[in-house]
Amino acid sequence: MNELNPSSKSKKPRFVSRRDFWMEAGMGIGGLALVDLLSRDQLLAAESGTACMGSSGPGGAESPYAPKAPHFKAKANAVISLFMCGGLSHIDTFQYKPALIKYNRTPLEGHGDIIVRQGNPGPLMMSPFKFKQYGQSGAWVSEIFPHLSTIVDDLAFIHSAKGTSNDHTLSHLEWNTGSILVGQPSVGSWITYGLGTVNQNLPSYVVLYDGRGGPYGGPQNWASGYLPAAYQGTVFRSTGDPVLDLMPSSEYTSLERERARLDQLAKINEEHAERYPGASELSARIASYELAYRMQGCAPEAVDLASESDETKQLYGLNEPATEAFGKQCLLARRLVERGVRFIQLISGAYVNTNVTAWDAHDSIDSNHRQHAKEVDKPITGLITDLKRRGLLDSTLVEFHSEFGRMPISQRGVGRDHNPGAMTIFMAGGGVPGGLNIGTSDDVGLNAEEQPVPVHDAHATVLHMLGLDHKRLTYYFNGRNMRLTDVAGELVPQITGTPKKA
Amino acid sequence: MKRFGILRRRAVGFLFVTVGILALTSYSSLVAQKAPATEKDVLQIVERCYQCHGEAQSGGLDLRTRAGMLNGGNSGPAIVPGHADQSLLIKRVSGEVTPRMPLGPGNPLTADEVAVLKDWIDHGAAGFSGAAAPTTSDLRGSGPQPAVVIPGYRERVINDKDRQWWAFRPPVRNAAPKVADARWTRNPIDAFIKSGLESKGLEPAPQADKRTLIRRLYLDLTGLLPPPEAVEAFVNDASPNAYEKLVDKLLASPNYGERWGRFWLDVVRYADSSGFEYDRNITDAWRYRDYVIKAFNEDKPFDKFIVEQIAGDELDSPTNDSLTATTYYRVGPRIRFREKQNPSNRYDYMDDMIRTTFQGFMGLSVNCARCHDHKFDPITRMDYYRSMAMFWGYVDYDTPLAPKADVERSEQIKVEVDRETAPLRAEIARIEQPYRDRDNKVRVEAALAKYPEDIRVAVRTPSEKRTPGQKLLVAQLQLNIDDPDVIIPVPVVPADDPNGTRRRRAMVKIDAADDAKRQALFRKIVQIEKKLPPPLPKANAVRDGDFWLAPDDLGDEQRAGNGRFSYDKTCCFVPKPGEHYEVPELRFAANGADFEADKKNVEVKPGFLTVLLNGKLPPASHVPNRPDYPTSGRRRALGEWIATAENPLTSRVIVNRIWGWHFGTGIVSTPNSFGKMGTAPTNPELLDWLATEMVRQGWSVKAMQRLILNSETYKMASSFYRDTNTEKDPKNVYLWKFPLHRVEGEIVRDIMLSASGQLNPQFGGKPFFPSIPASVRDAQPRGEWQLTKEEPATWRRGVYAYVQRGLRYPMFEVFDQPDLNVSCEARNVSTVPTQALTLLNNSFMLMQSKFLAERVWKEAGPDANEQIKRLYRITLSREPTRVELSLNEAFIQKQRLYALSRGNPSQDAAALAALMDLAQVLLDSNEFIYIG
Repeated sequence: MNELNPSSKSKKPRFVSRRDFWMEAGMGIGGLALVDLLSRDQLLAAESGTACMGSSGPGGAESPYAPKAPHFKAKANAVISLFMCGGLSHIDTFQYKPALIKYNRTPLEGHGDIIVRQGNPGPLMMSPFKFKQYGQSGAWVSEIFPHLSTIVDDLAFIHSAKGTSNDHTLSHLEWNTGSILVGQPSVGSWITYGLGTVNQNLPSYVVLYDGRGGPYGGPQNWASGYLPAAYQGTVFRSTGDPVLDLMPSSEYTSLERERARLDQLAKINEEHAERYPGASELSARIASYELAYRMQGCAPEAVDLASESDETKQLYGLNEPATEAFGKQCLLARRLVERGVRFIQLISGAYVNTNVTAWDAHDSIDSNHRQHAKEVDKPITGLITDLKRRGLLDSTLVEFHSEFGRMPISQRGVGRDHNPGAMTIFMAGGGVPGGLNIGTSDDVGLNAEEQPVPVHDAHATVLHMLGLDHKRLTYYFNGRNMRLTDVAGELVPQITGTPKKA
Repeated sequence: MKRFGILRRRAVGFLFVTVGILALTSYSSLVAQKAPATEKDVLQIVERCYQCHGEAQSGGLDLRTRAGMLNGGNSGPAIVPGHADQSLLIKRVSGEVTPRMPLGPGNPLTADEVAVLKDWIDHGAAGFSGAAAPTTSDLRGSGPQPAVVIPGYRERVINDKDRQWWAFRPPVRNAAPKVADARWTRNPIDAFIKSGLESKGLEPAPQADKRTLIRRLYLDLTGLLPPPEAVEAFVNDASPNAYEKLVDKLLASPNYGERWGRFWLDVVRYADSSGFEYDRNITDAWRYRDYVIKAFNEDKPFDKFIVEQIAGDELDSPTNDSLTATTYYRVGPRIRFREKQNPSNRYDYMDDMIRTTFQGFMGLSVNCARCHDHKFDPITRMDYYRSMAMFWGYVDYDTPLAPKADVERSEQIKVEVDRETAPLRAEIARIEQPYRDRDNKVRVEAALAKYPEDIRVAVRTPSEKRTPGQKLLVAQLQLNIDDPDVIIPVPVVPADDPNGTRRRRAMVKIDAADDAKRQALFRKIVQIEKKLPPPLPKANAVRDGDFWLAPDDLGDEQRAGNGRFSYDKTCCFVPKPGEHYEVPELRFAANGADFEADKKNVEVKPGFLTVLLNGKLPPASHVPNRPDYPTSGRRRALGEWIATAENPLTSRVIVNRIWGWHFGTGIVSTPNSFGKMGTAPTNPELLDWLATEMVRQGWSVKAMQRLILNSETYKMASSFYRDTNTEKDPKNVYLWKFPLHRVEGEIVRDIMLSASGQLNPQFGGKPFFPSIPASVRDAQPRGEWQLTKEEPATWRRGVYAYVQRGLRYPMFEVFDQPDLNVSCEARNVSTVPTQALTLLNNSFMLMQSKFLAERVWKEAGPDANEQIKRLYRITLSREPTRVELSLNEAFIQKQRLYALSRGNPSQDAAALAALMDLAQVLLDSNEFIYIG
């Protein structure tokens, strides 16, 4: 070896040892103590349970997750995306349309050819739900969101959001990746790529999908596309260990044996790294094992609700069967935000039997939306309320959206078909002014009319709140600097506070 | 072209008329220069302005037409015909008025260029009428592709400067440079590399030791570990050509194709499923995967490999292999659901083919010119559509891979069976009909009961008295058969669906006697159908046809109101032998979103990238010499044009890929991008030499690899370090040592199996499903993925694992398996904690560690010292150092005592548990998964 590296014994230390690495990464002796076989319990006790709370993590500049500065001062540093899978009807929830009452059961005319997903276009149909105005802002909310209606002044509604496809999967992809075609990185991937993470002990981008099953298109919704695989979303599992392969199977080994293996591995890897002075990828890989070890302690801690008070649990609806599942997801989201996770997506609705398990109300708006709104209304309200009282809402952008809205005309008299032409989304927190009602759709809610907000605009706006310029957040791939917003995207000025585009 | 000719003559005439009144100096300067400026001359200059003053009309100025110039922009007219001195355009480009145009540093027009503009304006600024000019004529004749001017689009004129881009010039074969050191003179590659190192003052690494070399070669060429015995044999082989023999042996190994084919599969975005909602299985994609592996193993000349993939069906004598090669078209992402409602999909698939083909074979992002002329490279939007026209005829078509006689016999039997069973089926239908009718009625009544009153009223209102709204309501209720609650019932198990997967609950019961009759008929049908031959193997191939007329597929049912488009033509999906075949027409700028708008555009004829033609024009079709196979021959012409030695890109692109697959980074580090957005070659002379050598060697991939592998460059040590080198070239761009690099996810898994001795060597065939937890499967509601156990059937090489676009195998995904929806030029290599978790805890890993421990025990006996040595020989192909030996002995001892302290295992069981711990440590180690 010496013949190859005569300088490895010279004055300049080039060998990045594990010790050096930890020192360099700012971990100091604490990190070393951790590595030197403190038991996991001791670790948590020693650091008073704060070890997992978003402290700066080691990983070095080589790590794809190293924190990166935003392009400009950010208002938000984390995002919680609440995705209503199946297609939330804007005209039965947040858009009150008297014209639908007036023209109930009459043909829709003067809007060109109506293309529906299933069957023939039916006549117009009024909402089965009662609407009222709430708050200072006077936002209209239907009776199926009784909790959310109490906090409308914290929310910025966009009533003129629109997509391009009436296909569930393509629209899922559009809202989650900016393109109806597969292969594009998801919003969460872009954001973790752009900002890294402040807590390397947990995944930076976490997805919690509906316990009933995955959404349309499955993992394509949280894929990293052409960005490095490190930026894909990590699914937190609803049962067992939250992260895949977090713990060894007791069939083969034990944690104690694993800990001994880790230490031996570090020694063997150091022996090897000594032959490759300055090979930073080798030291990064040595560090990755230490990070994995920390994640083994921190991921279960993050999903353990034991320390939450009964009052908090009730706030999220954990005490009621209908709201328990999504309530738990919302509470987990808050815990993850507290721990520095950058992007969290919660999905309500599954593809399994979509008329029932998702918001896909072809059969009946009344029964479908009543059920699904009940499932999420209290949990979402609880989440925003809880974030606010803990001082986290200012820095956490909550986004509520779906893949498309629904048709003002009926399907078989009681249901509604897909309508990408208009939908309502809302944002809250993360510097978004509350009490806004932005844009409108036409009198019946078929198409976005005033200030249409296509998907790229919504994405540009979310990035902006995080201090990222959607035109500068690029990744070179196959001859092009790619963007989440492709060649489009305008900020929504009421939200960003930027001058309105002429 | 003709038009420009006329302009030129007119301008010349004008010159002679006016010459008399010009001052003598002007006269002499004009004569001394050349003929006056033509529209073409001017366009070559002015088009540089179009990025801002074309479609974008920056400052309100559009310089694409004379009218636009006269109208001018915010600062007034750009030109005053006859008066260059008064024209703002001239003032701006000459710097007389600021800001000087074009904006940006280092970009002013030359004095000559300004003179051309002045001359043209002084002579009346003729041309630039913007009127329809020659559109793409039929390009089968000779002559260059003229730039197209049509309303709304003026094609960027490709000029000599564009053609001067390094990658568009033919590769130049320079002699290998002279280097002093004899070690670097035997192989031209070495001379190029060493010369580069010398000029940069970099000291090359010495040769790696033999154990390192054999491990490097095995991992690199086969993706497997060298068996310990092979390592010893190589170390002890003192013959001068021991290394060369090893290279040849490994290139001849079938495992070579299993590793090298995988690289190509990344380039062509290979997957076994189509992605999107249904994530449907591409049933015979694996045959293409095997074709690729075989092509590498057989060293199929790369030019042939290209043509087969693009047009394997259009050859004069297609083979099963060449037909299978066209699955290239089928393995991209496809929606495959309600395609007939969404004609724009076809254009997206075309984009996928253009993207993959030009990036994959030629390193060009032609796809960037889909909506406008390419922003950086001289590729026009019309070029994009010309290229699309080359593909436009293809349709998905499953081709039997069997002798014609077998196919015909099989078809004949099917026809016979159908003929025999048809009356029986009709009889069944007749028996069932009254029940179906009654069932339907009951069902509708039941459904109606669930509806609100106003709907029931609408249904019960006589049709002539219904309001328009009621009519719509009623129409809906009757037509909704998508809904499982209001379904046309199938109250029986159809004969072709014996498992009853389509069966739905009937609301009425069939009479026992009728049912008996029916069942008897079913049994007869089943009996007759036993004659059916087993399905013939088939390729998911393509051929020319009319894609609008493809057979209905999932979701394509003709149904009122479902938005399905109708087309004028009804015949034929694919032409019959002897029929005349025309590729359906393709319109410029068409995207399928609006049929009527698409039709208003000009028709596009097939063609090639203008920048590479330079006046010459290859044929736009090469029809095979097979009258029984009507096809356009366009794809063959395209493939042959890509694969010709005259194409300056193709040979460079593939040798660069080969280089990058060996060294981790290409000479051009952006292998899919040889345009302006790519990176420059680090050693252009070497790249060109390799490109010409590849053609000279008959496009043999293995010949190029033999050259590379036998070079001193390849044999350098990776663990070499010099302060001075690191300072000058920290990233080892100029290759002063062999670059240490990690193997890919598939290979990580392969070498685990290779070490544990559990690798199932089954070569080729249908893909296997690696074992995943049910919770991973749950995330993806659709797709073919089957849950399996960890067992030998799933311990095949990673290249054979099913690739489902919507559900990735976590172990590959975490180790940077690319997205595979678009061509992957080079895999990312990230280092993340989830990789560590996988290697620490995944059941596969734990299981293989146990197998490895058992293998070592069996091969080395119970002595810990011997076990450690054996473990190192198997996993790292070397002996442990003294330090490692003692470190690991202590570890084994500790783990053994730990095991003994738990439960009450035998001494042997405790020792085996300790050995398993060490085995896993080595499988997790950096050295194990890096090529050193």
